[in-house]
Amino acid sequence: MALAPALLLLPSMNSELIVGMAGSGGDGVVSTGELLLTSAALEGYHGILTKSFGPQIRGGESSCRLRLSTRPVPSSGGTLDLALALNWDDFLKFGAELPVGGRTTVIYDSATGVAPDRLPLVGVVPAETIPAPITELARRFAGTDKAKNAVVLGMLAGWLGLGQESLSKALRRKLAKKGDEVAGANERAFAAGLGYAVANPLRVPRTLAPAVDGGAAKLLADGNEMCAAAALFAGCRFFSGYPITPSTEIMQFFAREIWKYGGTMLQAEDEIAGVGAAVGASFAGLKAMTATSGPGMSLKTEMLGLATIAELPLVCVNVQRGGPSTGMPTKSEQADLFQAVFSAHGDAPRPVLAPTSVADTFAVTVHAFNIAERYQTPVIVLSDQEIAQRKETVEPFDTGGFAVEERCRPHPLELEGYERFRLTESGVSPISEPGMPGGNYLASGIEHNEAGAPTASGEIHAQMNEKRLRKLEPLKQRRDLFRIEGDPHAPFALVSWGSTAGVALEALPLARAAGLRVKVLIPSLLYPVAEGVYERFFASVQAGFVVEQSHQGQLYRLLRMFTDVPRGVRSFARSGANPISPAELVEALRQAARELQRRQVPELEPVE
Amino acid sequence: MSLHESTTPPPAAKDYKSDLKPIWCPGCGDYGVVQAIYRALAAIGRPPHEIAFVSGIGCSSRIPGYTTAYGFNSVHGRALPIAQGIKLANPDLLVLVAGGDGDGFSIGGGHVAHAVRRNVDLTYIVMDNQIYGLTKGQLSPTSRPGLRTASSPFGSLEEPVNPLLYVLGYGAGFVAQGTPADMAGLAAVIEEAIRHPGFAFVNVQSPCVTFGHAEWQLRQHKAALQSLESLGHDAGDRLKAMALAQEYGSKLYTGVFYRDPLPPPTYEQKVRERQEALGSSALPRDRILETFVPGHTARRDGPGSGSPPNLGQEEQVGVSPPATGQPAGPL
Repeated sequence: MALAPALLLLPSMNSELIVGMAGSGGDGVVSTGELLLTSAALEGYHGILTKSFGPQIRGGESSCRLRLSTRPVPSSGGTLDLALALNWDDFLKFGAELPVGGRTTVIYDSATGVAPDRLPLVGVVPAETIPAPITELARRFAGTDKAKNAVVLGMLAGWLGLGQESLSKALRRKLAKKGDEVAGANERAFAAGLGYAVANPLRVPRTLAPAVDGGAAKLLADGNEMCAAAALFAGCRFFSGYPITPSTEIMQFFAREIWKYGGTMLQAEDEIAGVGAAVGASFAGLKAMTATSGPGMSLKTEMLGLATIAELPLVCVNVQRGGPSTGMPTKSEQADLFQAVFSAHGDAPRPVLAPTSVADTFAVTVHAFNIAERYQTPVIVLSDQEIAQRKETVEPFDTGGFAVEERCRPHPLELEGYERFRLTESGVSPISEPGMPGGNYLASGIEHNEAGAPTASGEIHAQMNEKRLRKLEPLKQRRDLFRIEGDPHAPFALVSWGSTAGVALEALPLARAAGLRVKVLIPSLLYPVAEGVYERFFASVQAGFVVEQSHQGQLYRLLRMFTDVPRGVRSFARSGANPISPAELVEALRQAARELQRRQVPELEPVE
Repeated sequence: MSLHESTTPPPAAKDYKSDLKPIWCPGCGDYGVVQAIYRALAAIGRPPHEIAFVSGIGCSSRIPGYTTAYGFNSVHGRALPIAQGIKLANPDLLVLVAGGDGDGFSIGGGHVAHAVRRNVDLTYIVMDNQIYGLTKGQLSPTSRPGLRTASSPFGSLEEPVNPLLYVLGYGAGFVAQGTPADMAGLAAVIEEAIRHPGFAFVNVQSPCVTFGHAEWQLRQHKAALQSLESLGHDAGDRLKAMALAQEYGSKLYTGVFYRDPLPPPTYEQKVRERQEALGSSALPRDRILETFVPGHTARRDGPGSGSPPNLGQEEQVGVSPPATGQPAGPL
């Protein structure tokens, strides 16, 4: 490695880098990204790896964005510092997902035959353009095109200054099963790539500064795995679901782990059976969960209504993807909020929560179980493809800070003349389960009286509707389900949720640096809408945006339905797979500030 | 979960009867079915609180409410998935599932095959009246061809489903038929179905007095029924059972069509084995995040890693844990 320790202290080092790579499915750009991130996590860097694919199962185009930083990173960031194209056709398919700007270094396989001054990038002149002999080195040193990603890994190790030792070791581990010959060939390809980087330093150095906090290793997870692990932590002992992109990894995690905890996982015959078995398991007393994505969620809605009226705890995860219908299964979107809130027939309120990052997925999933159990209700967790399938470093944290709640079961004395749906002050009635003598009752989708007997009485129906609504009221007082950052008296505001919340959080210091007084509200609890929280937050606000990845701006519209949103607060929303960048938000805020100033000028005129 | 040992005397049939008054029409076959269930449950003797009784929607699906068991009157066609969740969550429970022919073979038809092939220990009782009664007389999946109903004023254009053959075809270990016209026989097959370890199916010809065929009521059942036992049928022979089941719709055979002489392990037994085999490898709850330490071995503990003992006989296809959606690159 050419980078001597002295060089590592140069001021030209980067505290942060965003690398984007694209190639065809077999090129292994995602594996390259994963190896880089793993190595970085072990060295104590923070990072996010987002993967994006074409719709093909094998082959097709695939890409990843890797953001590495010495500080925590709330989002996958904007324009690339380093763009790497194994071929241009595939690279260009990702459009705004891999934005190249004037400060980007573009590296591409010289085998593409494209001249450096003829890049197919419209209206952009990158800072530096390097046709690198990727295919050539792979063929020469490994004798196969398949080693292209080992060459790329070596090059990036050199240019980024990431530990080649650990990378080459990780590469060897990954290839161990393929035999010495393949491993050896890839190691030679890696060394060749590294050698190339050393011999051809970048004009704009892209070396990563040393990790700050003593290089303490980070955890590495994607949102789906984190969701399943959190569920196990929260006591989930039954999972049933049906494979659907991009939520399947939740089921696969349970398939590997839940047995170890004495639990059961069922791959159901369809989405309906998936939620149905979970409803049954909850009735039988276990904490239960199902997971799906948009179209599967549509199929589950009848059963969710059943869980609402039968007052059964249940966690249902919807990893949102582009919709409606099949939509864009491999792309992220936040357009299922209306579905989560409104898809039930009847008056069927149910809590809806959304995580904002992989780490936050742990907290939100644990909250979801606690809320489901405490209030005997289905709870919807709205994750999205971006969080669910991105790999993110997570600072190790103490899970001891999370309480785990159990449903309120009847005391043996309460089983004398037990009434399952007793009208209590809180609206929560102690819940028995089969096997409990004296707790016998009829759970039903039909409206029922306090004892559980079917009824067609309008009076009882109204009482029960009121009970099912009333019990969720305390949720609106839960401050821990809302994150507020920035100047509490700021006239400008951003509200955002899910994966775009990270973008809003990232825009905050940038906006402040631009002289704007801004604050940000990130609700984990999207429904019921906590009117009080928004009222207080909006009290000082004159302008701002509700930022989200949907065409209609669903949270914006939902908030307007339930609270008074200041007139100056507008929707900043766009369809999935069109990422929003922090810089855009700052620009929008600046524009809003200008408009506000112009409007206020007349007031500054001396009166008479 | 262990259940409380009952110290009270064994329950009688009346102990399974709830105070709810059935909404069924006078003369409905389902009155007989619920009586037969009380008797079968009394013969088995499990206390009501150890029984979960699940149904979907339809006249017959009201039945759990007329028992003192833990009942679950769920949504249309979904009793079987819910029942499987209950049984897997607490295998110590006795789980009954009941509903009509529309619930089981029309809207919920997709679930039957999977309940059968999983072989969860459930007893599934279908009250087959060949009509939709609750919605006042439309075609059902078992209505005979040409039947004139509210939804087929010129006669049905469809062939009916054969519930017996359907369930036999998917390999159910216990398949029987009964009619309330023969209460003793019906109670006996229900009892035997409950005792069968694994998925058991009882088709009950339970006529609808209001919308059903006037010429196919209990009186006619009584005259038409033929017990399989009296025919000398060998219930251990699946092919013969299937041949007899072909007569569904023309003959009224009662009794056991098929009883697996060597019932295989149930799904929940296999689950328990797996739980026991893997139980010792769980990370303690408060250390669960260790699974995300880069390179942590627990993450590779799927089948194929060699560490978990005896994961079973099953062939392993495409397991390269913990692979995510991305097609594997050449690395």
